[in-house]
Parts: sequence; C-alpha cells; structure tokens
Amino acid sequence: MPSKNFERSVKFYEGKTQDGAPVWLPLVEVILITPSNSRISLSLLFDTGASVTTLRADLYPLLGLQSWNEGLRVPTGTGGGQVDAYQYTANIEVFGKSIQCPINLLQTLPPHPFFCGLLGRDTVFNEFGFGFWESTHELFVTENP
Amino acid sequence: MRLSETTFEKIGDFKSFFESASIEAKSPTEFLSALDRTGIESNVTEEGHLMIRYWQIGAENFVSPEQASIIRTSRPLPDQGDNMDWLSKNLQTIRQENCGKWVAVYNERIVASSSTLPDLMNQIKEYDRPLITLIPAEPVIWTFAYAL
Repeated sequence: MPSKNFERSVKFYEGKTQDGAPVWLPLVEVILITPSNSRISLSLLFDTGASVTTLRADLYPLLGLQSWNEGLRVPTGTGGGQVDAYQYTANIEVFGKSIQCPINLLQTLPPHPFFCGLLGRDTVFNEFGFGFWESTHELFVTENP
Repeated sequence: MRLSETTFEKIGDFKSFFESASIEAKSPTEFLSALDRTGIESNVTEEGHLMIRYWQIGAENFVSPEQASIIRTSRPLPDQGDNMDWLSKNLQTIRQENCGKWVAVYNERIVASSSTLPDLMNQIKEYDRPLITLIPAEPVIWTFAYAL
C-alpha cells in the first residue's frame, strides 16, 4: 500500500449558489509577479481539469498588456464549446515555489469574488504532488513528489 | 554570522516601548492607539488575543538580491492573515460597499478599490502581495464554462 507525505494543505471555502446550496471551492492563493515586479495575490480555483492556468480576460493589465487578446491565440475547449484563449508566459509563486508558466486569458470565465481564474496543470502541476479527499474537503500538497 | 549592535538596541527599544505602553495605557483601546501611533500593526483576534507585527531591519544587505530570491522561494512567506478567509466572512458587507469594483485586500481589510484595475494597481504600489479580486455587480454564475 503506497504511503504519501504532504507538507501543505489547500483550504476549501464555502460559497452559496443562488438557491442557497453550499459549494465548496479549493482555492489557492497564487502570487503573480507583474512586469513591473509588483507582487499581486490572486485566488485561483484548483482545477485538475484545466490544462493551462487560466485567468479572466479582464486581468490583462496585470500581465502588462494593452488588451487581453494580443498573445498567442489558442483554441480552447470549454464546457460551453470551443473558444479562443490568448496565451502568455508569467512568473508565479505557488506553494512556496517560483514557476514560469503559460497563462491563458479567457473571456468566458464569469466574475466571482472568491477566485479570478483556474490553477491548471501545465508546468505548475509537474512541481507538486496532490492528495484529494472530496468528502472531507481536504486537498494536500507535497513539494517533493 | 553576527548582527550589529544597533539591531539589538532597536529590539531593546521595542521591548521597552511595549512594556511602558502596557503600563501607561488605561484601557485596551488606549493601548491599541499607542501601537497605532508608533506604526505597529496590531489585530485583536476573535478569541480576544492581541496580535502585533513590528517589522524591523535586522541586518541590512544581509544577502545579495540573487541569494534573497533563492531564500524567499525556499522559506514560507510571513503570514499576512488569511485575506481569503476574511473576504469570505465579510463578503456581504464588502459587496454592499464595493459592488462592481476591483478591491485590494491586505491584512484583512480593504486597502483600495476602484472601478478599473489599472487605477487600483496605482493605489497599491506600496503593498506587498495584496489580494486582488473583482466584486461582481451581477449575481455570481455557478454553471460556467471553463478551460479544459
């Protein structure tokens, strides 16, 4: 039976849908290093289903851009069909590590006060191991997978 | 490695201030005001504990910027308080006051808000790692389409 050790945990936050039903969200605070070297914290939804870390398009000023769609166009499959995302590279700090990773900007992510994007797999997940207990809302992270 | 004598003097000054202020203050409120005047960040927890934060340079040019970068990624960053926790607990009030605005949360309080993100960024240059989010004017959509 394999045994794994984890050094960190990701906190789940309770949101409420319009009909009052609870929704538990695994949220990760990610530090984005802007082109002017400011350090900004963003709350991202931990999402194993997202191939690339994705931010809402209206966050483009944080990447030093004049508009959200001046990067590499990347047709992206979403639950609502295929849409264009635009891809950039950014430096982030997450779970205590500095990582340069692709960041997609996407217009179809609706605004939410608790998170402004998705923490996706590309480059980021390679650095860590994860353990997930849905029933108890526990997500554990190791920096030494 | 040896820290300067000035460093120890400053730490001593801080202890002296804390002791004298705690004796002179006639109430917790007065004591908190004394901390505010001195620039010491404080927070009274829900349990009634007084938490203080007082950043003081321990040693200037302790390491090179390159070494600092390596050290900072291998050590946990100082606790800022849980801004997300605070946001989730106070969302209703925050929404009433900042509906449709970008907000910056730092040390469990809103330190800036604006209708545009560039303007917000201009207001928060002095803060390290403020949490930024948009407080939507519209009801939150839960059945959204996301990147796969």
